[in-house]
Amino acid sequence: MDPSHLTAVALSVVNSIALLIIVSVGLAVIFGMMGLINLAHGEFLMLGAYMTVTFYRLGVGFWIAAILGALSVGLFGVLIERCLIRFLYGRLAAMMLATWGLSLIMIQVVTIIFGTSTHSIPTPLGSFKLGQYSFSQFSIVVDIAALAMLGLVYVVFTKTRYGVMARAATLDPTMAGAIGIDVRRLNMLTFGFGAILSGFGGALLAALAGVVPTFGQQYVGAAFMVVITGGAAVLTGTASASVLLGGVQGIVSNATTAFFGSISLLLVAIVLLRFMPTGISGKWGRRF
Amino acid sequence: MNTLLDKARTLPGRIGLTVLAVIAAFVVGGGSSAFLAQQWALWIIFGQLALSLTFVWGYGGIFSFGQAALFGIGAYAYGISSINLSPITGETYSSLLVAGAVAGLFALLLGYFIFYGNVGELYVGIITLAVTLVLLTFMSSTGSPEYHVGDALLGGYNGMSGIPALGSVSAPLNAGFQLVFVVALAAVIVLLLDQLLRRPFGRSLMAVRDNELRSQLLGYDVRRTRLTAFVIGGVVAGLAGGEFAGWGQFANPAVFSLQQAALVIIWALVGGRRSLFGAFLGAIVIQEIQTVMGGTGGGLTPIVLGAIMILVVLVAPEGLMAAVFAGLRRLGLRVGRRPITSNAAVADLSEHRAKDRGQLVAEDVVKSFGGVHAVRGVSATFPPHSVTSLLGPNGAGKSSFFNLLVGRYPVTSGTISLDGRDITHLKPHQRAQLGLGIKTQVPSVYNEMSMRENVWLAAYAKKRSIAEADRVTDSVLQDFGIAERQETLVGDLAHGQRQWLEIAMVVAGHPEVVLLDEPTAGMTREETSRTVRLVHDLAVGATVVVVEHDMDFVRQLDSDVVMLHQGAVFRRGSIQELRQDEQVLDIYLGRAVTDAPAT
Repeated sequence: MDPSHLTAVALSVVNSIALLIIVSVGLAVIFGMMGLINLAHGEFLMLGAYMTVTFYRLGVGFWIAAILGALSVGLFGVLIERCLIRFLYGRLAAMMLATWGLSLIMIQVVTIIFGTSTHSIPTPLGSFKLGQYSFSQFSIVVDIAALAMLGLVYVVFTKTRYGVMARAATLDPTMAGAIGIDVRRLNMLTFGFGAILSGFGGALLAALAGVVPTFGQQYVGAAFMVVITGGAAVLTGTASASVLLGGVQGIVSNATTAFFGSISLLLVAIVLLRFMPTGISGKWGRRF
Repeated sequence: MNTLLDKARTLPGRIGLTVLAVIAAFVVGGGSSAFLAQQWALWIIFGQLALSLTFVWGYGGIFSFGQAALFGIGAYAYGISSINLSPITGETYSSLLVAGAVAGLFALLLGYFIFYGNVGELYVGIITLAVTLVLLTFMSSTGSPEYHVGDALLGGYNGMSGIPALGSVSAPLNAGFQLVFVVALAAVIVLLLDQLLRRPFGRSLMAVRDNELRSQLLGYDVRRTRLTAFVIGGVVAGLAGGEFAGWGQFANPAVFSLQQAALVIIWALVGGRRSLFGAFLGAIVIQEIQTVMGGTGGGLTPIVLGAIMILVVLVAPEGLMAAVFAGLRRLGLRVGRRPITSNAAVADLSEHRAKDRGQLVAEDVVKSFGGVHAVRGVSATFPPHSVTSLLGPNGAGKSSFFNLLVGRYPVTSGTISLDGRDITHLKPHQRAQLGLGIKTQVPSVYNEMSMRENVWLAAYAKKRSIAEADRVTDSVLQDFGIAERQETLVGDLAHGQRQWLEIAMVVAGHPEVVLLDEPTAGMTREETSRTVRLVHDLAVGATVVVVEHDMDFVRQLDSDVVMLHQGAVFRRGSIQELRQDEQVLDIYLGRAVTDAPAT
């Protein structure tokens, strides 16, 4: 094995880890802070991708389009929290079913508006060569973006007033309410923040793959596995589960095909949950 | 009307209904067009798929999003089996059995990891959904001809074609007879499931759904119960999938799509999670809506389905059938409940008590939570026919020690033995089967069941015989003075009454060792002294350990006292001795303990 081959394998493994992070961190914020598994998460990614494509076509440039796309998904998330989720707090199963219903509706509405044809935007930046292997520079950007998203989550939840209150509300909602924290408002903001992250993940994916109404379904299964393997700790759980599952997936994909990569991800996750039913971070106690 | 419904509830009544359904199918199948018969057959097949979800979710509390996947596995299994086997056997019914078996086997494998890992309720939904999505990817990418099983090409995205129809190869069932076959199979499955739910297995399944902890403490193997139910649901879904493949003579990966998985949930939601017939009603109603919409505004169908899903969750969380039943009940009709029938003679409870066993020994038991040493080296012997009180202020380690005895926490080190047998590493339900009866601090009972059903489940857990359990239940209900209120729903009881009921359940399990955690919390003065008498009564035949911090109750009990302080045994003696001990008083009054405890 020559060094350029090793580097290429390492790069693609890092890439599959980064991809898992960008598709799951929004879901993880909502799950970790609110205990809610958002079954419309795939459609939040999809919406982020479509909004980015739309803004991009208005000629604002990829990064502006991605940020606008993410923010519009955040706005949509706040709307959904106000109109639907807030009636269902305390009923976790009902929230899952309601968000599943939402996902069916979102797919169909997007189909009606945008049609079933594939929308795409050219991958920004060029490519570089490592020995005989060619890499897109954008994949390095995705790696950096994944780290940046984790960094943003860290900063928001530890350095801002909102973040500290949100963590307090997660640990003990009654006590948080008793000391004057508006838990309902926090839930709305958390759902919105999670939606922004999902939207941004979708925006990055839009530059990597063709955007269709069922776009989210390709990623959402992996995102679910990351979040439940990671457990309730938003940052450390997501990061460690992404590294583990993405690492296995990347290595297996390189050795065989992408198809066996996804199967290996599922198998590792299920076997892991047999022994750690509350996820990797389940025993850590500190929920962050 | 009442009598008619009651008649329909007896076993002959149910068989009658089943036969009636098949005859109805005959009439419809023979009298109407082949197209209609085809359509109804599909709807009944879908109804059976919905039924599998109603069973595992509504009755078993298993939040499975993977019934569609099991259905799809059944469809492909039928396809592979019939394409390869029907030229040899000349029929395809055997392939239908293969479909059920393969789906059941898959459910067994998947269920093992899910239930034996004690994965949380919501995780079950997510894992089953993720498995469905992976199967979708898997079957979609088997397009090239190299993916085949025998003569059957998997066919990738386009699916498997050329699957033989149900029946014999020379003369497959026509549309009418296919409908009759599908209805007959569904009716038999409904009948069997209904009977199963009246059997002890069904009761314990519903008990697990209602209160997992209590089921464990009574000695039911929660994991095996759930796994069994999931496998049964898998077989029912797989049989439906096999029929589906025979019906359309093809199978494609769309059966593994999120939309299909959502449809199954919607059928069950609309029909109601607690009604076996409702599953069929839900499937038929939704499919009819889809058919109608398909004619006018096909593009809107998913939006309507999504809206139905959200609306049912918001407005009628128990489903439409449950709403209808609630309406009927308001009109004075008795519907919806499955009573257990029994009328055995009342027996004397004391005959079950006299036992010479029940020696519970803890040796140097340690429990640490991270850096917190909740229990640091407790050794205590609880001899047969005695009452021992575990006393100590808040934080002394009483509850932790109690939970170690029960088996809810694993010990960090040390051993626990019952009658010389090491039980340190046994699960709570295994300890319960060995004769440990446990009453938890917060009453843990089955709120959705009647008092009688609660006590019966406790008795059956130990006896494993319906007749015996009936007898014990009657006598316990008498002894505890709750016989006349036995049909009251437990959820409607006051806190103190639930405490009393839970103690009755412990007694009904005929335990050799009784562990009571703060039994008198929330009881009236009269109930408390009744409990004191009961504890003494129990100690005639069993070892009783009571955890309390209510000094008054302990004084009334007048038993041997083990006092814990900071996770270790501080004193052991009679309550009189302890009351004269300055250091004990120091601890209870919060005064600083000046010198080390004498050993």
